[in-house]
Amino acid sequence: MKPLDTAAGSCTDEALSLRKLRLKFPGEDSLLFKDLSFSVKKGEKVLLLGPSGCGKSTLLQVASGIVPRSFELPMKSEAIDLPSSWGFVFQDPDTQFCMPYVDEELAFVLENLAVPQEEMPERIEAVLRRVGLQLTDVHTPILELSQGMKQRLALASVLLMEPDVLFLDEPSALLDPEGTEQIWSSIRDAAADKTVVIVEHKIEQITGWIDRVVLFTDHGEILADGPPDTVFREHRPELIRYGIWYPGVWEDYVRSEGFLQLMRDRPGTGDSRIVELESFTGWRGKRAVIHAEKADVAEGSWIAVLGENGSGKSSLLLSMIQLLKTTGTLTVDGRTVIQKKRRRTLPDGLSLVFQNPELQFVANSLFEELTVSMHTLNPEEAEKRAYGLLKRFSLPEDGKRHPYQLSVGQKRRLSVATALTGNTQVLLLDEPTFGQDARNTFVMLETLETLRRNGLTIVMVTHDLEIADHFATHQWHIADGRLMSCEKTGGAAHARLVHS
Amino acid sequence: MPAWFTPERMTWLFRVNPALKFAVFLLLLFITLFNRNLPLAAWLAVLSAILLYGFSGYSAKKLALLSIPIALSFASSFITMALFGKGDTVLWQWGIFKISEESIRHGLLLGTKSLSFGFTGFAFLLTVEPVLFFYAMMQQFRLPSKYAYSFIASIRLLPVIAEEIQVRSNALKVRGITFSRGVRGVGERIRSYTVPLFAQSIRRAQRIAIAMEAKQYQMGAARTYFYSTSYSRHDAIFLAVMAVSVAAVFWLSFGVPY
Amino acid sequence: MKKLTFTDLLITIMVGVVFGILMKFWDDLYTAIKPVLPVARQLLYGMWFMNGVFAFLLIRKPGVALIASIAGAGLSAFIGHGLGVLIYGAAQGLAAELLFAAFRYRKFSIPFAGLAGVASCAASFGLDLIYGYADLETWALIVKYGLRAVSAFIFTGVFAVLVIRALEATGVTNSIRPVAKEEYSLLDR
Repeated sequence: MKPLDTAAGSCTDEALSLRKLRLKFPGEDSLLFKDLSFSVKKGEKVLLLGPSGCGKSTLLQVASGIVPRSFELPMKSEAIDLPSSWGFVFQDPDTQFCMPYVDEELAFVLENLAVPQEEMPERIEAVLRRVGLQLTDVHTPILELSQGMKQRLALASVLLMEPDVLFLDEPSALLDPEGTEQIWSSIRDAAADKTVVIVEHKIEQITGWIDRVVLFTDHGEILADGPPDTVFREHRPELIRYGIWYPGVWEDYVRSEGFLQLMRDRPGTGDSRIVELESFTGWRGKRAVIHAEKADVAEGSWIAVLGENGSGKSSLLLSMIQLLKTTGTLTVDGRTVIQKKRRRTLPDGLSLVFQNPELQFVANSLFEELTVSMHTLNPEEAEKRAYGLLKRFSLPEDGKRHPYQLSVGQKRRLSVATALTGNTQVLLLDEPTFGQDARNTFVMLETLETLRRNGLTIVMVTHDLEIADHFATHQWHIADGRLMSCEKTGGAAHARLVHS
Repeated sequence: MPAWFTPERMTWLFRVNPALKFAVFLLLLFITLFNRNLPLAAWLAVLSAILLYGFSGYSAKKLALLSIPIALSFASSFITMALFGKGDTVLWQWGIFKISEESIRHGLLLGTKSLSFGFTGFAFLLTVEPVLFFYAMMQQFRLPSKYAYSFIASIRLLPVIAEEIQVRSNALKVRGITFSRGVRGVGERIRSYTVPLFAQSIRRAQRIAIAMEAKQYQMGAARTYFYSTSYSRHDAIFLAVMAVSVAAVFWLSFGVPY
Repeated sequence: MKKLTFTDLLITIMVGVVFGILMKFWDDLYTAIKPVLPVARQLLYGMWFMNGVFAFLLIRKPGVALIASIAGAGLSAFIGHGLGVLIYGAAQGLAAELLFAAFRYRKFSIPFAGLAGVASCAASFGLDLIYGYADLETWALIVKYGLRAVSAFIFTGVFAVLVIRALEATGVTNSIRPVAKEEYSLLDR
């Protein structure tokens, strides 16, 4: 073990170590860490696992020195020995760059390192090759990159510093399956000889690569610490409870009693068509962004809208609820929707949940958030309904908390609940489970299934084929701004193919 | 939108050092600001119009479109001042409206000043690349890097913020939120837009600042520059042209009797 | 008084820039009613003074009001108001900054925030005098700038403070304000 008094432990084989760390968030009573000791050996690949809010990400920030250097939190420790050369890849691809273009962002790092200008272009090209980011022009706007490419750019900018230690804070949490695979493959290639400390819920890509898993409890204590195989074998209940996307989590889930019970005697869809589209086109300015020749939605169905990024999935939802200009015919529950250029109220019976929950909140408490759009009901009825929704969506039942103070998963559920306060017949959802851990994903899906059983119709954009296969009753495929096909899940017998 | 802001041709005005151009144009604005002489204001407006229409490299159609708000501001300053401005030689009076010779003259002065402000502003903005402007400010005028990069990082996020305003507006429609009338309604509207927008932006700014420091950015540390900006012969020409033009403007205003 | 960290500075400038955009939207509204309703138009003018005051109430450190105000004006200059706005933004920000400094950067309530707005308004009046906007008949002068000062107070005092309080309720402000010393002693419990 490392002696207590070393400041720069260059003679040890440890890349970093913390002894008896105490840390809390300002304004909160309890400590996030109480006397936590943690160290990582040089060259080790460590994965930190635990429930949301257990402090894994904060630990990474302490271990890199970001806390307290860039971000002050009340903390103290008996001894702390941090790496002098490190790089950090953050979770959100949209909040780690300061420059508009790819080359400028990488140059920013080189400028910080005072690299002479003549050497910059060559090093920029080289590092992009190293992370497998092939661009025809390095002077590409970062906003035009896919989320997966942005994360590889983040990795590239970090590699320019030639760090000994790499900290990865859920680098694939906000990526689609393709992006996830790409970022991990780039990391595996680029960081083979480095010390790597990872926080991540989606671990399918890395289970074979890491040497060590540290499992945390809800209270920021270490529950298990050892080789991946041992920890995964001995602590499967915790993996499930913490919502880790471990390999085989869907297999376990669809065999679970909860799921089987939910799907037992699953009612099919009704006979009536609640939404009908014909020669329906959604426009952004003069550009047609989505077109459906003919499609309809049976009452009580759950439609998974699938397709590549930018193919027009979200535009379909926006068009259906008339937030984009549309042409053609749209019927909701037999009523033809009148398509106006500028409208103040949206069609009856439809409601939409956007991706970012916070942009939909309007009130200062959960309870108020739910009652605010129930102005058609009398106050007592509204109150009763609101408490019912809190229970159904597994939200804090006293309803007093501020919506922004909820956990990420709770915010998502609240945003869905707010869409149900009116007379919603058809619920349009834009990736309601995106970026969530397994536990929150399943809670969301189960809640939606219960609502569907009670007569709600669901149209949901998703990237996740497992959801489409296990929960959706129908799948719509969208490509290049066209609705290509609508088919029943689990059999092409009822496929109503729509072609152009 | 960025595509719209590509000029048809690159003029010499683009090649002038952006920081120098900024200083000279700001000087021009200060002259306009303090000036009370109508002929001078008018000739300054002509000069700035020549700069914008002659040398920004944008098509007349685009420039005309951009000039609409400037023309409106000319009209509104002129009308307000003409109707309510001080003056003794009254030409027309009706209720609270009073038009006098002085107020018309004053209205014209204000109007032409608005024209100079507008034209000079666009002549600068249309011929400058923001990132290069900040690089030049750091290298030629010693602007501390912390300001330059904070600006660049914030400007980069403009499209994201604009999109959030759009989503928020849509979300309020979906939620069926309506606002009261009057001052109360103004307050409600401000609150319902600013709270979520600032919550997102503050968090984003904080994360970006942390990420920048994690990439070894340090306030005040020595650094190199990806885009090296310097003075060139274009700057000498620019200074000469501007000096001659301003001298000409002053001569036309004060040296020529009207 | 604590100095500005890089995070503080970036947030300040980002706040300024967001105000710059909001002011652009505001300006469209303002231009639309400008010729029709002169009184309403002056009453809406206070929005232009909100920026610096708001940023100071958020970060609570010296320099913030001035920097945010210049940043916002700079941005609105870039997106179509012209460079002249920059001069106004700097003067207004400086006035608010000086007012907060006079109270040693320790007052964050409605009257002080409102006064800072009125100070900004006074600074813009000074520039208007130089420019020539203020050469009106005396009654028009009093009505115009009187209404504008009232508006400044409402926007910076009432609206800015209320928005800040709403933001505090979201918890976002917790992570950007300096940590109190007592928090450290709580570690030893």
